[in-house]
Amino acid sequence: MKRFRFMVLGLGIALALTAFSAGGQTIRILDGQSTTDAGIEKIIDAALAAKYPNIKLDWEIVTWGTDLNAKVQQYIQSGLPDIIVGKGQDLATYSSRKILAPITGKPYLKNVLADAVKSATFNGTTYGVEFNALYQGVYYNRKIFKDNNLSIPKTQAELQALIRKLNSVGITPFATHFLDLWSIGNITMQFAINDIFSKNPGWANEFRAGKINYATSPEARVIYNYNKLLYDNTWKDETFSLEQTKADARLVQGKAAMKVSGSWSIQNFLDVDPDFDFGVFPFPNQAGNAKLIFEPNITFMKSATTKYSDAVDKVFDVITSDKDAAQKIYDLTKTAPLIKGVTPSYKNPSQKDIDAYAAKGQLVDANTGNLQLVWGGFQDENAKDIAAWLQGSETLDQALKAADSRRAVSKP
Amino acid sequence: MPKPRFKLVMKVQYFSLVFPSLLLFTVGLILPMILGVYYSLTSWDGYTKDFPFIGLGNFAKMLADPHTLDAWWFTIRFAFWNTLIQNLLALFFAVILDTGVKAKTFYRTVLFLPCLIAPIVAGFIWQHMYFDVLPGFNALLGTKVNFGLFGKSSTVLLGLLIVNNWQFVGYWMLIYLAALQSIPRELYESAFVDGASFRIQFLKITIPMLAPAFTICIVGITVGSLRVYDLLVSATTGGPGRASTSIIYHIYNTALNARQYGYGSALSISLIIVLLVIAVVQLGVLRRREVQL
Repeated sequence: MKRFRFMVLGLGIALALTAFSAGGQTIRILDGQSTTDAGIEKIIDAALAAKYPNIKLDWEIVTWGTDLNAKVQQYIQSGLPDIIVGKGQDLATYSSRKILAPITGKPYLKNVLADAVKSATFNGTTYGVEFNALYQGVYYNRKIFKDNNLSIPKTQAELQALIRKLNSVGITPFATHFLDLWSIGNITMQFAINDIFSKNPGWANEFRAGKINYATSPEARVIYNYNKLLYDNTWKDETFSLEQTKADARLVQGKAAMKVSGSWSIQNFLDVDPDFDFGVFPFPNQAGNAKLIFEPNITFMKSATTKYSDAVDKVFDVITSDKDAAQKIYDLTKTAPLIKGVTPSYKNPSQKDIDAYAAKGQLVDANTGNLQLVWGGFQDENAKDIAAWLQGSETLDQALKAADSRRAVSKP
Repeated sequence: MPKPRFKLVMKVQYFSLVFPSLLLFTVGLILPMILGVYYSLTSWDGYTKDFPFIGLGNFAKMLADPHTLDAWWFTIRFAFWNTLIQNLLALFFAVILDTGVKAKTFYRTVLFLPCLIAPIVAGFIWQHMYFDVLPGFNALLGTKVNFGLFGKSSTVLLGLLIVNNWQFVGYWMLIYLAALQSIPRELYESAFVDGASFRIQFLKITIPMLAPAFTICIVGITVGSLRVYDLLVSATTGGPGRASTSIIYHIYNTALNARQYGYGSALSISLIIVLLVIAVVQLGVLRRREVQL
């Protein structure tokens, strides 16, 4: 009798498993996350279960900056996952290597802001769903600015005056965390977007063609020197040991007045003090016409080799049409929406600044730079040379020449 | 004289016992190595289906690449100092614990515990030690010691050596301790009767009898240090700049992040050759020394 019960139980389990495997589909998803993105997978799983209970997502979460490329390369040999989640700039790298499936004209793209669809389209073919955006510039402590009667600098001269004033009252002008090399790479690209690419959108192609060199370009020298400006006006002894969360906390605590950063810091700001009052402005360029930078961030891409194309489309449909889920993700990541009709409810004191720059047409897409010079192997390696220069291990000329030596691998 | 059938059965038996290991070894080690050699002769980026053949171009590039030379220089310095310091400290602690010191088990446990932690965790722990914990002593003692060893190119090697030695001294100490405890006591008793001092006993009995342990520890620490990677990932990410980028870290960055798989493979091949040469030379020299001693 006991044996019979076990047999019935076993048969029941086997039947249940068979029923699920027959009706359900498991989609592999490789998610290259930034620290702010942690948790979005649960929201997406819940939204998907509500609309398409037969589709399950098998998540593999890795760090975007260091591990996504490595994983993609590994899976090119052993079989790509059905969905890859990266950043807007990955679209150029992956689509040019033909590992993404086109999604041009799919109905769910109507839920995405037109500019975001355009940004994910190359030579008339759309390769991804750009889901949210980050704003990059100089985040500043409004209270410090107000208490010291400081105004937003628009030119380099005004910025220099502001730095002098802050130093004179004993406030560290910039919060930095150069322990994170990506931070050096990111701020250098911010400088380059406003000082180089906005002036000459074809700069990188001319660089690759050998017509321009970092070593002889006055603009390149200027953007490298901005790093020195920050380094000379931050906690020099600590910045190469300091991680992002601590630098963000110090800005909130009033130990520094400004931080060249992006929306990824907002989560930390509000974690330290939910009432922290902060704003954002573009890092002033030489011409005095710098724009606030926006960057398409979380981007969903369909693998060119997926066997579950329809199911992947259903996942993309949920991601773009479930407005509650989208809002939850925006609130969690403290980022700006690229899905139509979704307004985040989190408190963002810098939003009024962003709106003001947007109204004046003073926004620029980070991809104007990121799609010209690849991150892995070029931007990140340049950041290492900048760090070595700041530490005195290299000269500025050596750091600039090192960028020239990587010309051949600079294309995304 | 065994019958031919018996011989055949034995051969089949041997082969069936060896085959699983041989298969794993071939698939897991030999094939990837052969593929690595092939990739090292191409300019493959890790993504495309094309493997453009460039002959020995990657190896020529390696010799002229300052970042590769810097990575080797860091790795060699790290391995040299680690091998020296870790062996001396491990031997020192082993000799102390082999005497009649009290609470032996406690000290042994304390020294051994850090090696149970993953190097990646040790890196995080010491990043906080240097940045948050140790500077607290400055406030207490009114001193101005800069504990941020990971934050400067000039001190990052020292900071990493402290972490690596803190973590692994206990492990190598156990090997020395086991070797010390296997030395017959009669040798010391005879020497004592002959009037040999502690120093003479140490130099003439302990050191020669420890020769096999020296071989194990020196080769183990050297090869382990030459392969340092995970500690760097969490402690310094190879920085500041490239000041603590080891050759393995450099290979990872080059092959995977910088999409130069072919060049990364060439670097890997060079690492294997260097590791083999060092291990063979060390083993040869130390084994010869064992016999002499």
